[in-house]
Amino acid sequence: MRRARSARRTGVVAVVSAVVLLGGCGIRETDVIEAGGPATVQTFVDHDYDMLLFFHSSDGGITPVIRSVNGGVEYGPEGGPIAGFDPVTVDTVPVPTEKVILALLHGPDEQDRAAGLGTSLPPAPSGRTVRVEAAAAGDGVEADVPVAVEGLDRTALRQLICTIAYSHDADGRATVGLTGADGASASGTCGLDPTVRR
Amino acid sequence: MTSGPGRPRRLRLRLPRGSSRADGRPRSRAFGLRTRLVFAFLLVAAVSAGATSALTYRDARNALLKTAQDTAVSSFRDQVQQTGWGLPIQREGMEEVLRDIARKGKPRPWVVFAEYGSVRASSGENPVSTVITPELRRAAHAHPNGSFERVVRDGVPYLTIAMPTLFRTGPEGRLPSGLVLYAVMRMTDEQLNVDALLLAARDGALPGLAVALIPGLLAARSVLRPVRELRKAAQSMGSGRLDTRIAVRGSDELADLARTFNETAGKLEGSVRELREAEARARRFASDVSHELRTPLAGMLAVTEVLDEDAGRLDSDTARAVRLVSTETGKLAVLVEDLMEISRFDARAAELNSDEVDLAETIGKTLQHRHWTDGRVRTELPSGIRARLDPRRFDIVIANLVGNALRHGDAPVTVSLRSETRSSGPPVLIVQVTDSGPGIRPEVLPHIFDRFYKADAARTRSAGSGLGLAITQENVRLHGGTVRAGNLPAGGAVFTVEIPLHVEEADG
Repeated sequence: MRRARSARRTGVVAVVSAVVLLGGCGIRETDVIEAGGPATVQTFVDHDYDMLLFFHSSDGGITPVIRSVNGGVEYGPEGGPIAGFDPVTVDTVPVPTEKVILALLHGPDEQDRAAGLGTSLPPAPSGRTVRVEAAAAGDGVEADVPVAVEGLDRTALRQLICTIAYSHDADGRATVGLTGADGASASGTCGLDPTVRR
Repeated sequence: MTSGPGRPRRLRLRLPRGSSRADGRPRSRAFGLRTRLVFAFLLVAAVSAGATSALTYRDARNALLKTAQDTAVSSFRDQVQQTGWGLPIQREGMEEVLRDIARKGKPRPWVVFAEYGSVRASSGENPVSTVITPELRRAAHAHPNGSFERVVRDGVPYLTIAMPTLFRTGPEGRLPSGLVLYAVMRMTDEQLNVDALLLAARDGALPGLAVALIPGLLAARSVLRPVRELRKAAQSMGSGRLDTRIAVRGSDELADLARTFNETAGKLEGSVRELREAEARARRFASDVSHELRTPLAGMLAVTEVLDEDAGRLDSDTARAVRLVSTETGKLAVLVEDLMEISRFDARAAELNSDEVDLAETIGKTLQHRHWTDGRVRTELPSGIRARLDPRRFDIVIANLVGNALRHGDAPVTVSLRSETRSSGPPVLIVQVTDSGPGIRPEVLPHIFDRFYKADAARTRSAGSGLGLAITQENVRLHGGTVRAGNLPAGGAVFTVEIPLHVEEADG
């Protein structure tokens, strides 16, 4: 009896250890394994002549698109120059942030929409001016935007902040302070750059 | 005629035959020691070879897969980094770029998938892969890092790589472009290599196992040799050679066993020697006593003969006493003679003086000498049966059996003789002595040949010495035969003597 039981136990141990040792033959599935950093692709963005506008994609994140300045005049709702856009400054380098904000508020164009991008910002009411000035201290930037800041959702705020930050500074690290048409204010940094530790 | 005290005798140890060597031991038992030892050795070898093979296989497989994966991931990143995109990315022209990346895939061409916003494109036929898991997508969107996942679909292993892309905004700034590229590579070659590894591990382990059989057999042999010697020694002891000893080699457990065996054998030999000496002393005593009694008895017999002759002239009481003394002295003389005879058998001093005789004639002579020719004894003696035996001893056998039948059974007593051919062994001579009495009681039958056995407890004094049948049995045995007692169905005892016929033998 005892011998039989111990023999059975030995057999079980042998089988289990064989299974453990072999660890399954062939190629088995794995979990998702991180392997190195992302790829950096070429995008031909020229900070002097191109604008980076941030729209939100279908998955909820915000994605930059490149808009050339010389094409900017065509983006009026009725085909005309949009409000606050001064054709005199077309050749100003880099592109003034005021112009970039207005382009953002104007919303995505056909190509952007084709790629599934959209905006959370309300359209800009005409006649309102945009004023941007560098903050008194540090590398911040203050902007008066022609929309009500109160009532903007997180995505909309991030769109504004990132657009202004990357217009103000090619690396997009400025702290942006927003004052809306309703007098409400908000501030923040873009924080989309994965190479910067937040 | 005394028994030789120092004469070498065969030890009278009766062992059950089954335990002796005669039961034809099989050469290799199903679960014999050898099988178990070799099996244990092979098991150890198998476990070690299997473990080594398995570990080697696992490491080699992991290294192989790691190389393939690392190559694929880094070359995919390199390929992706060489592409340029306008933002937002247009669906048009995307597939050419993806096909270009796919063609340059290492170690093998990939299928490349791109996801940007709601745009889906691939270098293959379907814009969306069925192999890429939601987990990989989630990881690619959550962390801007390259990552891979091995997926098995329908038994085919795939390597799926996710590569989120960044672009440069300024001297230091990087922004996620929102474009995630995926590469899907079938790992069929890797699978073939891994299978080959498995095959190699197995093919390495099996010959290793076969090689391990040789030391296994050698180890089993080294253990089994002392065991075999022990068995031989035990057999030899069982067959009476008590001086058998084993050579003790080394100091292991088997050597201990051999030493114990030797000690036991020595003690056994001593005990048996003592026993034998005591037995010999007892026999010598009986023999000496009978011898010492014979001389005075001879004198007494002579005196009683004279007294018998003169008894007629004595008064009746004295005459009866004298005749009683004479009869008892005669019985005592017979008893002493029988005792001496049995002592000779016990001492193995009895010898056959064989002669070729006609049996019918011999038996007839026996009956004639005892004066049993008055019709109480009938004979069925076919003439012409000849055998080589000791006439004197055969005479004693017949006389004892017939005398016993006449004393304890009733007349008529029949003596029959025949020879029989047996399928195995030589032909036998069969002598049967049958009486017409009530037969032998069943409880007496097993003891009928014992010395001084009284069939009737009440009858303490029988006419015979009490040794007649014992002497008969010894005489028959000396001829290599047997004697049996039994009853006839109709009543009456029957004694059957069977002696092998040795007519052809020149010398008994």
